[in-house]
Order: sequence, then C-alpha cells, then structure tokens
Amino acid sequence: MNYWQIFWTAWLALAGVSFAVITGIVMVKGYKDLRSMFSGLREQRTHDHE
Amino acid sequence: MHFAAIDWIIIFVYLISCVAIGLLGKKYIGNVSHYLVAGRELGTYAGIATLAATEIGTITFMYNGELGYRYGFAAFAAALISGLVMIIVGRTGLVVERFRALRLMTVPEYFERKYSRGLRLLAGILVATGGILNMGVFLKIEGEFLTIVSGIDSRYLVAVMTAILLLELVYTVVGGMVAVVITDFIQYVLLSVATILVSIYAVHHAGWDNIVNKVSSTMGSAGFDPVQNPKFGITFLIWQVLLWFSIHTCWQTTAMRVFSTKSPEISKRVMTWTGFIYLGRGMLPMLWGAAALTLFGVGAVENGVPLPVVDGQTLAPIDAMPAMLANILGPGVKGIVVAGMLAATMSVNSSYLLGWSAVISQDIILPVREQMGKPPLSSRSQIFVNRLANLFVGVFLMFWGLYYTPPGAVYLYLNITGTIYLAGTFICVIGGLYWKRANTTGGYLAMLMGAAGAIIPFFFLHWSENVTGFCAFGLAALGLVFGSLIGKRAQPLKEAP
Repeated sequence: MNYWQIFWTAWLALAGVSFAVITGIVMVKGYKDLRSMFSGLREQRTHDHE
Repeated sequence: MHFAAIDWIIIFVYLISCVAIGLLGKKYIGNVSHYLVAGRELGTYAGIATLAATEIGTITFMYNGELGYRYGFAAFAAALISGLVMIIVGRTGLVVERFRALRLMTVPEYFERKYSRGLRLLAGILVATGGILNMGVFLKIEGEFLTIVSGIDSRYLVAVMTAILLLELVYTVVGGMVAVVITDFIQYVLLSVATILVSIYAVHHAGWDNIVNKVSSTMGSAGFDPVQNPKFGITFLIWQVLLWFSIHTCWQTTAMRVFSTKSPEISKRVMTWTGFIYLGRGMLPMLWGAAALTLFGVGAVENGVPLPVVDGQTLAPIDAMPAMLANILGPGVKGIVVAGMLAATMSVNSSYLLGWSAVISQDIILPVREQMGKPPLSSRSQIFVNRLANLFVGVFLMFWGLYYTPPGAVYLYLNITGTIYLAGTFICVIGGLYWKRANTTGGYLAMLMGAAGAIIPFFFLHWSENVTGFCAFGLAALGLVFGSLIGKRAQPLKEAP
C-alpha cells in the first residue's frame, strides 16, 4: 500500500503542476492565437467574396 | 441561501460577458467550414484551450468526484490512463494526423471516403444517438451541483438549467465553432482558476494525511491499488486503455478540434499538451471526492463506503463534493468557483451541441437528401440546416436531460453509452487507415456488432461494464476482419478534395 501511496502522490503532484503551468502558458499565448484565427478567417472571407 | 451578493454579481457579469463575446463570432462566419471547423485556423494554444474546455465540464468534476469518493486513490488509474493515452496519440499522431490531413468536418464523413455513403449514414445515426444519450445526463447532474453549492431552491432547478442551456444555444447557433472557440478560451481560464482554487481549499480543509488515512481505514489497500479494487481490476484497466484510445481519436467533439487546427502537426501538439491537462482533469476532482469522504463520510455504509452526511442530511456519494464546496468556500471565492463551474458547463454543452448537430446535419440529413436525388445544398443552406439541428438537440436535451437519472456510477454510464458507437467507429477507423483489406462489408459488421456488443450485455444480460466493454470492442474487431475477408475487394481511400 505504501508503494501505491507514493505512486499516486507523485502523479497527483505532476498533474497539479502541469495543469497550473499549461493554464498559465495558454492564458498568455492563446490570445495571440485567437487574433491570428480572426485574421485568417477575415482573409478567407475576402477570398470567398472575390 | 449559500450565496452572498458578491457571488451573484460575479455570476451575472460572467454570463452576460460570455454570451456577448460569443455573439461576436457571427461576423466571421462565411461558409460551412467556418461554422463547423473555424475555417481550420486554430493554433496550438487556442487549440489546447478549446479542447480542454470542451472535455472538462461540471459533469466531469461530478463523476470524477464521485469516483474519488467511492474508490479513493485507486480511481486515479482511470485519470492516469486517459492522460497517458492522449499523450501517446499526440506524440505518434495515431489517427489524428491522417484525420486532419483528410480535411474532414465530422467523424462519420470518413466512412464515406473509405467505405460507402450508406455506412456514413449508419455511423451518423449511431454517433448522434449515442452522443446525445451520453450528453442527456449532463444537465440534471450539473443542475444538482449548482443547487447544492449556490443554495438555490431545487424547485427552480429546471428553470435555471433551461436558462443556461438557452444562453449556450444563443451563441452556438449564431456563431458556430468560432463562437465556441472564443468562449472556450475565456471559459478554460475561468474553470482552471476554479479547479486550482478548489484543490487548494479541499486539501487545506480536509488535510492531506487525513485524506490518506480515511481512504485507508475505509477501503484498505483497495483504496490505493486499482488491481485489487473489486470495481476495477486488470480487465477494467485494459478496457480503459481501449476506450480512451477510441475517445481521443474518434469522439466527435474531440475530433472537431483536430479538424479545426491549422495543420496535422499542430493537431498532434494540441493532443500532446492537452494530455497533461487530462491528468489533472481526472485526478484533481477525484482528490476533492476523497476530501469530501474525509469530511462528511460518516453515514451508513453502502457498497463499502459510508454515505455522506451534511447538516444531518444523508446524501448520495455524487453530491458529497458539491456539498463540501458549499461548506468550505467563503463569499467571493464561491462566486469565482461557481462562475468557473458554469464556464465548464457552458463550454462542454456548447461544443457538444455543435458536435452532435453537425453529425445530424452533415451525416444524416445531407446524405439522405442526396440519396433522394435532390441537388447539393449551398454553404449558406448547410449552415441553416446545422442551426436547426442545433436547436433540435437543445430542445431534446431540455426534456430528456432534466428528467432522466442514470443508474449506478455516472462515469461508467457515460463509458457504456459512448461504447455503443465508439467500439465500431474506432475499429473501422483504425482498420480503414492501417489495413488495406478493410472494406464496406467489414465496416457494417463492425458498427452493428460493436453496438450490439455494448447494448445486449449491459442492458439485457446485466454484465459488468468491463466485460461489456471488451465484448463490444472484441465483436467490432471480429466483424471488421470477418466481413473484410468475405466481402468484395476494398476501395482506396478518397483523399481530401
């Protein structure tokens, strides 16, 4: 049982830390991605109208 | 009432701004590809946000919390498998890379490219039925969460959930995938903040050592060892591996994110990084469930665990986690957490509404029209049909979702309803992509035997979820191999137009 306790504690720590870190990165860089998506969609619409 | 004025203000500001921002998506919709796959303009980070937000809802927190309460740390095995399998899919590009390269908009569309229009129709019907039934339990359980945490009188549950569904419908119907991606980004940030906050509060209030001791004294080694736990065992673990491979590659709402990315390479990156989020998506709410067991698990023992008792009232295990939140979170924090949970609810529901309605319109209505000899619909008309399908799914959910109660643990119910179509779909997709002999006869047999293998053992023979899962995947594989060997020679896969 001791082995499993250590095993799950380690995975829980990794899960919590990666969740928090990836959230931080996505918060910062995701906004730029959204803007790039909008400009891509605008270009596609202009292309469709031509 | 558990809510203070500040909590209500946070909730209303969130709801109004979310719907308003979602409606902005409409101005970017020009054709059906914009509406369903955001013009395939999704980058890595927005892709991670929308995929994570789509698959993390209040329903996810509830069923994982229930697993943590009932089975302790042993339940973490399910979360570990889901995350590791997603990382493997991302690293190898299994299915997702080819799917993205084929420029699909729905999973059943692949069936017409590889097999036949008839099989696309059958897959569409199974995917839509299984998916909508799966989503059918969301509203009621999400409503239970809100009622318990906010203290809203349960008499108003139907009205509250109907209002939330209508808000989601407004921006999803109008702005399609673009609106969903924008709102998913905001919702992902909010739900992540709420997840981290709740995890800190839960461990702080229950105490890490107390949680470990409570699980240990209640369940013994079965609370830690998934192989020894009678509900899990080796068969459960292997079934979970199969199931998660099929979910991460063939689940319509997940696949739509893959289809929406800018390139196959980006789709792989999105899957890999979201895999790490999946570890927390499962394990953190399971930890909340174990914390709720520690704080409130003092009632009569049922199936090996004491029922939660809160303020003298005995609750079901699934309600222990929200009851804990109602008790441990202070004013302001509670508002942020509930706004986060609402964000989770809305992101899942809007994505699922779009996912299943896309299948109904693109894979059922349009092929049937063409089969009847009618001319193909214009892009604008296809968007209109999609919007009508979206409304239909929304109305169905309002009636079915609020009144149907699933039997047993919700996680396992969701697994089985998903398996009805995932078994056949996954086997057909893997066979079609990686085995030259896979043909239409094999495809039909795989879909039908996979569905029968999930429905008959579970609903009529009352076999366990594990055995049912094996049966469904095994029969689907048998069907594909047998049908492909006796049927006509396979046709080559039609590449992207």
